[in-house]
Amino acid sequence: MPVTTLLDELRLIVGQDHVLDGEVDRFGYSYDSSFLPLVPARKPDLVVRPRTVQEVSRVMALAHAAGIPVTPRGAASGRTGGSVPLEGGISLALDRMTDILEVDEANMMVTVEPGVRTMDLHDACAARGLFYPPDPASWKFSTIGGNVAENAGGMRAVKYGVTRDYVMGLQVVLADGAILETGGKAIKNVTGYDLTSLFTGSEGTLGVITKVLLRLIPLPKQRGVLRLMFADMEDGCATVHRMLKEDIVPSAAEIMDDVSLEAVARHRKMTLPAGAGCCVIIEVDGEDAASLDGQYERIRHVAAACGCLEFKVAKDKAESDELWAVRRGLSSAVASLAPNRLGEDISVPRDAFPEVVRRIGAIAKKFDLLIPVFGHAGDGNLHPSVLCDMADAGQAERVHHAVDAIFEAALAVGGTLTGEHGIGITKRPYLAQALGETGVRTLKAIKAGLDPKGILNPGKIW
Amino acid sequence: MNDLLKEAKDLVAGCDRCGTCLTVCPLFKVRDVERSSARGKNAIARGLAEGGLEPGAGVRGAVEFCLLCRACADSCPNKVATDEAMIRVRQVLTDRAGGPTAKYRLVGAVLRSRALVGLGALSLGALRRLGLLRFLPSALVPKEFPRKAFLAAFAGPAALGGEAPVSPAQLGTHARVAYFQGCGMKLMFPDAAEATLKLLGGLGEVTSPDNPCCGLPHLAHGMGATFLDLAKENIALFEDADLVVTDCASCGGALKHLASHFREDPLWRDRAAAFSAKVLDLTEYLVRMGYQSPERRDRTYTFHDPCHLVRGQGIRRQPRQLLEAAGTFVDMRESDACCGGAGTFHMDHPEAAAQVLARKTSNIEATGADVVVTACPGCLIQLTRAAEASGGRFKAMHISQVI
Repeated sequence: MPVTTLLDELRLIVGQDHVLDGEVDRFGYSYDSSFLPLVPARKPDLVVRPRTVQEVSRVMALAHAAGIPVTPRGAASGRTGGSVPLEGGISLALDRMTDILEVDEANMMVTVEPGVRTMDLHDACAARGLFYPPDPASWKFSTIGGNVAENAGGMRAVKYGVTRDYVMGLQVVLADGAILETGGKAIKNVTGYDLTSLFTGSEGTLGVITKVLLRLIPLPKQRGVLRLMFADMEDGCATVHRMLKEDIVPSAAEIMDDVSLEAVARHRKMTLPAGAGCCVIIEVDGEDAASLDGQYERIRHVAAACGCLEFKVAKDKAESDELWAVRRGLSSAVASLAPNRLGEDISVPRDAFPEVVRRIGAIAKKFDLLIPVFGHAGDGNLHPSVLCDMADAGQAERVHHAVDAIFEAALAVGGTLTGEHGIGITKRPYLAQALGETGVRTLKAIKAGLDPKGILNPGKIW
Repeated sequence: MNDLLKEAKDLVAGCDRCGTCLTVCPLFKVRDVERSSARGKNAIARGLAEGGLEPGAGVRGAVEFCLLCRACADSCPNKVATDEAMIRVRQVLTDRAGGPTAKYRLVGAVLRSRALVGLGALSLGALRRLGLLRFLPSALVPKEFPRKAFLAAFAGPAALGGEAPVSPAQLGTHARVAYFQGCGMKLMFPDAAEATLKLLGGLGEVTSPDNPCCGLPHLAHGMGATFLDLAKENIALFEDADLVVTDCASCGGALKHLASHFREDPLWRDRAAAFSAKVLDLTEYLVRMGYQSPERRDRTYTFHDPCHLVRGQGIRRQPRQLLEAAGTFVDMRESDACCGGAGTFHMDHPEAAAQVLARKTSNIEATGADVVVTACPGCLIQLTRAAEASGGRFKAMHISQVI
């Protein structure tokens, strides 16, 4: 199809204002929040911003007929390049689809469009006493469609699980424009393969998510936040693990090492006790104040036995918010310490957490690099950030070896390449190592069945 | 690479492209495409510096579509100063184009010249007296709602006739206080400027040197050299003063930051630092002097925080404190969100500015306040327009006129 006709067609479908083809706009949709270099820019040829599922369907049908690559996109806050249009074509931005369609209180479910921001979704449910627990650090700005496509995790996974655990059904536009509905409100459902799970975490390579049905739980009545300081990561990890063993299940247990701590302290008023090399932020929830007080006491006891240097309970909402702000801003704060950062996202069995932290420490020493670590101590998901200057050729070489070694370390202790960010572009080289040849072949067979022309988010995962 | 472009790139180096800024940018709320956001603008700065983008009309349009309101920098986990980066990128683009566009050249030239500003003020004053202002577009000259009209309109049984007496308090008479009058106040709001002088005069001796423009409009539109010239003139002009008080948030913000522009200049560094250190916003000065409103009116006020006051100078509490003493005070939602004025932005992008303002208007209306008060002539232009749009549900005034 000639380009001008295609442009006219697309403009007819989504409206004049919602097809962008200027140089600056194409550049603006060439990146996400991953550590891929900005230049050379992976510019799409067009940015298309549909408003309805019918529009998405018609755009896909057109792209399918013409064999044009389509890269779905939410807020582009992903960390692995999932929404970077690697092969040009169309950047399909779903951020205008922002309606919360239904809050079904009787069934405790919510139906939303993909462009709804995660925090807005959470708040809308909370206003009715319902709780949507997954809360990736990016929840203020990431969209639910992106969360589902990447199967995002977040801080509360230790108690409440990840996005997948709440997705009950999806509306998905397939590569050829057909509209598929999966799942539904029935809790028990074994009708055929579990397509809902298949599309959750599919990173935009199997279909375009246009509607999401999510399960909710009752909103915990009380919530409390604690900040614990330790001399090192070993003591912090030990505290979290002893808590879990003693059946104190926090709704979040976030850990950060000394370098991460310094990075946030630069921007926020944080007074650190002398000798603090590790901070653990814990959130607990419960029925009433007495239940929280009980948990605080038990945590205090465990922490003291593990060498806790400072134990602080946030005394009001403002203090709680500040503690969470520290954690949520951490990733960006760490990134600002060096010209480049390769932020990784490995996930290991919970008991291997201290071991893998030790191994990362050794890797940092071996390759002479600064690798701060923070993450979700409660669920074994950690984020080592290799800080570096990729303009320095010698260093870049060491960085690549270090990243390889980090993945090896994760796999060696029974872990995996990614806990919540997906494979995208940045982890492709390690896929076979993690899944084996048969695993990769199986993924590719599914992809070929659903997207035979390979137009959906090409170049991702493998 | 151009030094300024390198500076811009360094300024945005901390941008992790996370997207926090997308949720707070007033312009992203009205045009939600990447280039409107701070993340988009940071990427443009880097793209230019790294050779991924060529400067052209598209780039220029994107970097000028910014209110420089700092909402992004304020919420950024890394405090990336996108506004400062944009000022540098604008300078780079202006230099490459061989100078600013005719429009900005004209605005720059008028504001550069004391004589022209004075002439403008005079002729606008004459038009105002002759009642001819309505023949000019309101973007050019807003209708001022003066204190006299305020007193007449809001005169209840408790406020019988006449202007309120100026506070007799004679605090701090030892300090040599000088009033810095911004071009906006001179041109658009002479009544408010007069009220400021009266307030200052009530607290001690005050001089009002015939100062030139603070230079912010020049800095914002790629006329950096003129900005520095004006800064030097002002530094010299106010050398004898102990305090420089201004009732314009933008002037105040610019003047307080002058020192940073002369850090590398051995001749001016110390003089600029001394100058910046003695600049105070009017509200800051009044609260510090313990100013008390002579009387409390049975009126409800709300306050719009000018970007250059709340984020530019960190002043949030003082105007509220003054208004609480002068009447009933109700805070509005998003009081510190930009009103869309932003220097000449409302003239360059009237539609986007109007949409930004519409949100502000509904937030003002929701408070039920009689008067929306602010401390910047740029904002006051917009708020006057908001008052008109609301059909007289509220008035817009400068803080010096109501306390």
